[in-house]
Parts: sequence; C-alpha cells; structure tokens
Amino acid sequence: MRWRHLFRVLHRDIGYVCVALTLAYGLSGLAVNHIEDWNPNYKFASREVDIGPLEGTIDERAKQMIAKLELDPRQVRGHFAETDTQLRVFLGEGQEAVVDTRTGRGTLKTVTTRAVLFEVNSLHLNNLKGAWTYVADLFAIALMFLALTGAVMMKGDRGITGRGKYFIGAGLAIPIAAIVYLYA
Amino acid sequence: MLRFALLLALFAGCDRGPKSEAATPSQAAAAPVTAPAPGKTFGAGVSVAEVTSISKILATPEAFKDKTVKVEGMVLDVCPKRGCWFEIAGEATGQKLKFKVVDGEMVFPVDSKGMYAQAQGKVSVKELTLEESKQHAEYEAKEYGKTYDPASVTKPTLIVRLDGTGAVFRDKK
Repeated sequence: MRWRHLFRVLHRDIGYVCVALTLAYGLSGLAVNHIEDWNPNYKFASREVDIGPLEGTIDERAKQMIAKLELDPRQVRGHFAETDTQLRVFLGEGQEAVVDTRTGRGTLKTVTTRAVLFEVNSLHLNNLKGAWTYVADLFAIALMFLALTGAVMMKGDRGITGRGKYFIGAGLAIPIAAIVYLYA
Repeated sequence: MLRFALLLALFAGCDRGPKSEAATPSQAAAAPVTAPAPGKTFGAGVSVAEVTSISKILATPEAFKDKTVKVEGMVLDVCPKRGCWFEIAGEATGQKLKFKVVDGEMVFPVDSKGMYAQAQGKVSVKELTLEESKQHAEYEAKEYGKTYDPASVTKPTLIVRLDGTGAVFRDKK
C-alpha cells in the first residue's frame, strides 16, 4: 500500500533528523536518572588551607584572607560572615573560600561544569525555556510519529498483526507493571 | 561556561515565569518598575518596587506570611543538584533567607554564588514539630552532604522562606 511506503520514507528521514537529539536526550537521561548518587552538571573540589588567624573588622579580615590566599581581587564578588568566626569569600565561577578566622584554617572550594553533560542536560531538562520549548515539543511529536510509523511499517507475520503485537504488549506491560507495583 | 553562553545566546531573552502563578493582589497593586533591572532574569523577574529587609522578615515572619515581597542581597548558596533554590544574605551575621521554586521552573546556576540578587516571592512560614524538625535536618544533611547530629535539634524549627516567582542576578549591586 502507498501509505506504508510513505511511512517508511518519513520514518527514515525524520529518524535521521532525530538522531542527534535522541542521543543527547538519552545521554542526559542516563545522567539525571542517577541524580541521587552524583551531580550530573557540576564537579566540586576543595582543598584545605591554613593562613593563620585573621583580625580586625569583617571587611579587614576579608582583605587579609584574599591577600593570604593570593586570590585575584578582580575575581572577588564579596564576602559574608557566616558566624562571628567563620568568614566566606566568594569569587567568580562559583569559587568560594571559607575560613575560621580564629585559626585561619578552612577550605577553598571550586566548581566546574561537566563538559557535554551540562549542555545536554540543559536541553533535555529545558532549562533554556523560551524557543527551546517549541523545539522540544517538535522533537516529542517526532518521536511519537517514529514510534507509530515504526510499529506499522512491516506487514505480515513480522508486522504489528503478527509477532509485533506481542513485543508492543511486552513494552506496554513494563511501565504498567511498574505503576501497579508503585501505587497498588 | 563558554559553550553554555553560546547556547544561551541562541535563546537570549527566553526566560519566562511559571504559567501557573497568578499575580497576587500585592503584586498587582505594586508600582511598575520604570527601568528593568539589568542582569540575568529568572522566571517573572521582579516587579515589586519596595525592597523588604530580610532582617525584618526573619524577625517577624508572621507579619509577612503569604505576602509578596522583594528582597535583595548576595547569593550565598545554590541548590547543587537541581538549581531549584538559593540562599540570599541578610543584613546581619549569619542571616539568610531561602528562595525556593518548583523544580525546573527556574534553574539557578551553581556558579552564581557571590552574585547580587533581587528576588520576589511569597513569604512562607511553617512551624515544624520537634520530630519533623529532626527529619528535616536529617534530610537536608543527606541531600547536601552535611553532617547530621540528632542531638543538635533540640527545639521545633520555624521554616521561613520565599516561594519564588522571579529573580534577577547581577555581578554587583
């Protein structure tokens, strides 16, 4: 039938268009599925520092901290007294120094984005909002189209009326079983 | 960051607020801001003209309960997992207010710490029982990799936060 041929052509060409985003979303899906175990967007690191006691007002202590840690003053965004003795200095790119002003001991924390994952997660989770929402909508519709045309593309014993229906049933049974297990 | 900046450039000005949030009476009555605050806007941004002191909110939270306010200060911490909250510094030592949004409605970058923020939302006040306070402290410790000592929670916790509708981040005040 002509419609089957048309579906095959559309399935093939729309499939090509969807390759990149399918891989990106799949990769991001794997990453964010395990968000309880790791941070899929950022890497955090810290190192211990010991710069000796700091004295004076909070502003003076912050200046001493910046000098002793040899931080670039142009990178400093500001400081905050967490307690009377714990001082935090914030730098660009999410860096932060936290020091106990009585002892001078503390940590210098850095944060970096995970290459590739940060970007694909932004797309997958639609952090960009706006125009990307419509791109993502089109992609979702394309995936549904691929699923439907894929299901009816073959005819005969290997088609949806043959063994295909059992595979579709199996694929349907998995999420239904999960929902029944979770909410029953 | 450069890569993400390129992506953002493609979709510049695309941020928008949650569709489900209707303007509250106090928002509607607020005087319009004549010039939009420069910086990165999240959600619906800020529209309330007057800045409310975080110290005042924390000192008398019941007086501000369910009211829409705008606060400002330094970003101290950002939700490291989903970017769904940030803490904004108050005027006094250790003083801070959490700004919370529904996961995914706005995503605050973790590297925003130290930036200057203006944030608008509804003041939420919730008093936990002692048992709930312990569970809350345990959850926070587990979620954000902090140590939890049950003995440190000796009295019910009063949670005061802003349920956010929008914010603007800038490099400096």
